[in-house]
Amino acid sequence: MSLPALRAAFDRPGVALSPFLVLGDPTPRLTVELAAAAVAGGADMLEIGFPYSDPVADGPEVQAAAQRAFAAGVSTRAGFRILAEVAAACPGIPLNLLVYGNLVHRIGYREFAAAATAAGASSLLAPDIPLEEGGPLRRACRRAGLGHVELAGPLTPPDRLRRLAEVSDFVYLAGFQGVTGVRRRGFAEVLDRTGAARAVLEGTGVPLCLGFGISTAGQVASAGAAGARIAVIGSHLARVIRRLYRGPEDAATLRAGFRAAVRDLNPEDEAC
Amino acid sequence: MSGVSPRLGAFGEFGGRFAPELLTPALEELEAARRKVIPSPSFREELDREATEWVGRPTPLTTAPRFSDRAGLEIVFKREDLLHGGAHKANNVLGQALLARRMGKRRLIAETGAGQHGVATAMIAARFGMEAVIYMGARDMARQAPNVKRMELCGARVVAVELGAQTLKDAINEALRDWTRTLETTHYLLGTAAGPHPFPRLVRDFQAVIGREARRQWRERFGDLPDAVVACVGGGSNAIGIFHAFVGDPSVALIGVEPGGEGLDTGRHGATLVRGTPGLLHGARTMILQDDEGQILEPHSISAGLDYPGVGPEHAALQASGRARYVAATDEEALGAFEALCVDEGIVPAFEPSHALAFTLRAAGSGEIASGSRVLLNLCGRGDKDLETWFGLGRSPARAHR
Repeated sequence: MSLPALRAAFDRPGVALSPFLVLGDPTPRLTVELAAAAVAGGADMLEIGFPYSDPVADGPEVQAAAQRAFAAGVSTRAGFRILAEVAAACPGIPLNLLVYGNLVHRIGYREFAAAATAAGASSLLAPDIPLEEGGPLRRACRRAGLGHVELAGPLTPPDRLRRLAEVSDFVYLAGFQGVTGVRRRGFAEVLDRTGAARAVLEGTGVPLCLGFGISTAGQVASAGAAGARIAVIGSHLARVIRRLYRGPEDAATLRAGFRAAVRDLNPEDEAC
Repeated sequence: MSGVSPRLGAFGEFGGRFAPELLTPALEELEAARRKVIPSPSFREELDREATEWVGRPTPLTTAPRFSDRAGLEIVFKREDLLHGGAHKANNVLGQALLARRMGKRRLIAETGAGQHGVATAMIAARFGMEAVIYMGARDMARQAPNVKRMELCGARVVAVELGAQTLKDAINEALRDWTRTLETTHYLLGTAAGPHPFPRLVRDFQAVIGREARRQWRERFGDLPDAVVACVGGGSNAIGIFHAFVGDPSVALIGVEPGGEGLDTGRHGATLVRGTPGLLHGARTMILQDDEGQILEPHSISAGLDYPGVGPEHAALQASGRARYVAATDEEALGAFEALCVDEGIVPAFEPSHALAFTLRAAGSGEIASGSRVLLNLCGRGDKDLETWFGLGRSPARAHR
């Protein structure tokens, strides 16, 4: 889905539910089917990760997801093929890419951004290319008509958050200081941080996305109430895949389970 | 490949700060401390005092007549193997631990490959009453078992990293993940001149004492400068430490020796400068071992301390500018040089500098250095930690005898 579609998505009210999938996890075909299942379960957007050998910003569940993709023979080139199939299977759904800098650097910033747009991505976040080093990548994205997303953290000061917003189509706030992963405690502080970040971004027109540690519909709803326009669910769903996947011959259980897990994250369902 | 120059802490096209935003506060804090604290007289005084009484500086230059004869060169060693802990790593851990203390950080984390940096970190943490957690690949823990025990004896907790190839690269990944969680109380005591800015400069500046001392000692003793300075390169901290003082001396050749593993054409090596391509790894744009889709490759070396798919960005820049050149020595060549130094000079070197020694043994014959050249070689660590591995190979030192 294109960048204009991403912007159109922000015109709709409420918090967008954005499940995370690694390209090739657990197989190329199942990534596409799980993306479709997520949309059937109520996903408004998708976060799409390219598997990488050294994911320093990720905790154990997302690392394991990348390992499953590698075991299925998927790297960057195959990832683009799967991405195009996901885009075809999920019309109208914005796709934000999460891709480590070296994968982009290796292909070439311009070439990678052009290929991502051609495959149907709407935006890109490189977690290990921060604001100061990101100029060439941002220019490449702009040139390709691909949105660009910067990462912020709990310790990012307000003036820096504003500078991140100036160069971002939306800002991805990591709710916890640490790597990706499900947390049992501390979500009240995450909501405080979300509210504070929203206040800093007030008037910029740049939406806020909250990720790291979200695993329930209640958290999605309260993230929305605190000012997040997107809630990303990563490790929680990677764990669902790890627990339900028993091989390609038993894909129906995984598809149904994944769809149910996404459905359970919908704030509307919580109200029923 | 993207022709993209980094902006922060660049060495030409290399370096930079390619680390997640969540680490930015810690890296900015460290850079501020580097600029403000290190030049202060009270810090210099404390560093010099501890370097003398705890690290054991200065280290001597040692001539090596019998080994030189074998090589057809005049070789002089800078004896960093005589430092406390048995390697040059003590220079860096002392400097960074003093800095961490002044930054109010009471917990140190570190990665280690051969275990030398882990041991050095454990020792300085004990001396300063700090907590130390050392990340080490499970495979490295098996092949460097004595160093694991030494770390634990000094009160450090050693965490086995079971991911990837279970070597140095994976240990750095885990240390970075720990630091992202704990940066408000913790200093990441990175062991080599790699990583995001400011680490490559920070580590180089604490290791540069090696070259400063050696250059002065050489001039006092011989009245001039060596023809070549040779050091092994994994991440590259001992090499940048001895090179730095000589970079402005155009008559002095700077030669780094990388691990050629089972041979450069086997794909089982760690020769990132000789055979790598530019990429982003562990916070810097540098030369790395990667496939054509950007996945990092697993390196190989008999030396756990050189078994790393990246290299400090300043070395990549020195290679690109032509100021330094980089070559490789295989596992087999390194083992031969290890044995030769034992029988010729009664010095048991670590497997890491055995690669630099191996280069000098072949260089005159291969024409890589003119015969009879005067070479300063950084003997950066002693070999006690490698004895178990050597015994396990079933080799005989007799083959080193002429």
